[in-house]
Amino acid sequence: MSLQALTANLLADGDVAFWSRGRWMARFEEAQLFEDRDAAASALELARGQPTIVVEPYLIDVERVDGLAVPASYRERVRALGPGVRPELGKQAQGGPVVAAMLAAHGTSRSKGRLGLIQRK
Amino acid sequence: MAFGMYRYDAIDKAIVQDRAAEFREQVQRRLAGEISEDEFKPLRLMNGLYLQLHGYMLRVAIPYGTLSGDQLRTLAEIGRRFDKGYGHFTTRTNIQFNWIRLRDAPDILDMLASADLHAIQTSGNCIRNTTADPFAGAAADEVDDPRVWSEAIRQWSTLHPEFSFLPRKFKIAVTATGADRTASRFHDIGLRLHRRENGDLAFEVMVGGGLGRTPYVGQTIRRDLPPRHLMSYLTAILRTYNRLGRRDNLYKARIKILVASLGADEFARLVEEEWREIDKEQVDLPAGEVKRIRESFGMRAFAALPADSQRLEQAKAGARGLAAFVRTNVLPHRQPGYAVVNVSLKAPGEAPGDCSSEQMDRLAGLADRFSFSEIRVTHEQNLVLPHVRLDDVPDVYAELEAIGLATANINLASDIIACPGLDYCALANARAIPLAQEIGRRLADPDLAADVGEFKINISGCINACGHHHVGHVGILGVDKKGEEFYQLTLGGSPGLDDAAIGDVLGPALPFEQAPAAVEAIVRAYRRERLPHERFLQTYRRVGLTPFKAAVYGNAH
Repeated sequence: MSLQALTANLLADGDVAFWSRGRWMARFEEAQLFEDRDAAASALELARGQPTIVVEPYLIDVERVDGLAVPASYRERVRALGPGVRPELGKQAQGGPVVAAMLAAHGTSRSKGRLGLIQRK
Repeated sequence: MAFGMYRYDAIDKAIVQDRAAEFREQVQRRLAGEISEDEFKPLRLMNGLYLQLHGYMLRVAIPYGTLSGDQLRTLAEIGRRFDKGYGHFTTRTNIQFNWIRLRDAPDILDMLASADLHAIQTSGNCIRNTTADPFAGAAADEVDDPRVWSEAIRQWSTLHPEFSFLPRKFKIAVTATGADRTASRFHDIGLRLHRRENGDLAFEVMVGGGLGRTPYVGQTIRRDLPPRHLMSYLTAILRTYNRLGRRDNLYKARIKILVASLGADEFARLVEEEWREIDKEQVDLPAGEVKRIRESFGMRAFAALPADSQRLEQAKAGARGLAAFVRTNVLPHRQPGYAVVNVSLKAPGEAPGDCSSEQMDRLAGLADRFSFSEIRVTHEQNLVLPHVRLDDVPDVYAELEAIGLATANINLASDIIACPGLDYCALANARAIPLAQEIGRRLADPDLAADVGEFKINISGCINACGHHHVGHVGILGVDKKGEEFYQLTLGGSPGLDDAAIGDVLGPALPFEQAPAAVEAIVRAYRRERLPHERFLQTYRRVGLTPFKAAVYGNAH
């Protein structure tokens, strides 16, 4: 199966976070990658049991670009990086090879992670 | 004399303070795990707090687009202390902060309340912030100050028990001049104040306008509503919509769908029927209350000045930049010797509508010194200093230039409207800001821009149409095509009252890399096809899509 990672926003400050063996990490390169669908689903269940730590945990697809894992969808790369129009803001500001790989990746603007968003507008 | 700013009374203050205190308790309960996210989400949304791509976004209402210097300084301080030093002015004349922490939100609402501001009803299926003419109190042909009626609507609609859970969100616009600057025909209700032949004030009432997935031009259902009956008539419209609007299908829940399905005449008949049943004594504002609101705005004392300014004319003679700024950004005022100064938030390379905390602070200072401490926000994502002496325009220009806000491009091709798009928004399918930046760069040349003249480009990152792409002369809609960003172009849209129109689709959507060149090709085609003195819309309506299709797609389409 394809690779997956688990992401959410931290409840108290809203920051994008990535699951890694029971902890929430700030940078995508620290995310635990799941090759096994059951393991990913188990982690998602654990995350859903942390409603005072995170909001709306969900799984995202991951692919490899030049050997480095990056979120497959453009939307998830934007979440993992920060706004493309303000490169000094967000997680992208710290730089590094995974950030460079995410910036170089192309394609798939949609992520399947969040549905029913129109109800918020 | 002219009206100043509405001043909150004790009741207004208590409402916003109580709401902030209530939200503080709700946040504490959410952080402590006493309520779930499902329970909390509608509560935070009713206070303007969304969860976007990078975190929480707070949308603050700027009532009918009017700010005092102190209020703008408060927004600057929120940006500095609780965000990343900037805010984003929206096409709904609100401001959004993109990097808010939930734990800070109660303190922010307290700060807003201390400045007579709030985030109430900036989300949810309720009556949202009213749009009003940004030139209110300054426009020469204004028949009354639309802010008086907008403030009355704010008070009437705030926490209105019957209209807090409508089928869908609801937006009202108020204008009082012939030149509509509110896009009133694209609101759920558009109100145009005018004078009848006998001299009495009256509202023309338009309903069922809107953009989004299914755009409609609002239809007039009443031409001569006496202002004293505004609240009862609005109640009749809202009550009819609340009863008959669809709640089974999110995409068909707006009033525009109801009006279109019933027909404007039948909808009007139902409203009139409902209106007859309403006890107007109970619902309409007493004349004394309208007077109280009107007087709460206070009065501004304009100086008696000559119509022309020697100082400005002399300064312009030696400064091309100032002359260009005056030509595009400075507009006539009803009071001799004064002008309306437009401040563009579309400097080349900047995100449309973004404003740093430092810029907000300096603008607040300019408003204090030169414009009776008033600032307006436009639905075109620019700001306005509404009452500037012509003699002071060179000083205002110099200060704006020092903070990067003297771009002379109001209504020109680089004055592009764009939603936050996929750089910030969880709903977006495509980026809007980088496209606006690239197109803006290509069309920024002053000689080219002057030759093209009025040219409105609107960009939305998804079908929800926050960038109002349907009413752009050139509209650009970001779509998701097999997982890639593509952009669909429309031509011929207009937000105007008399020439309101929804743009026509030009042809197949284009990838990001080709969209800026396509807009340039449209501009070239317009310059080739136009007759002397013809605006883009006039040329387009005369020649149609064909030459523009050929310019963009060549022989491929």
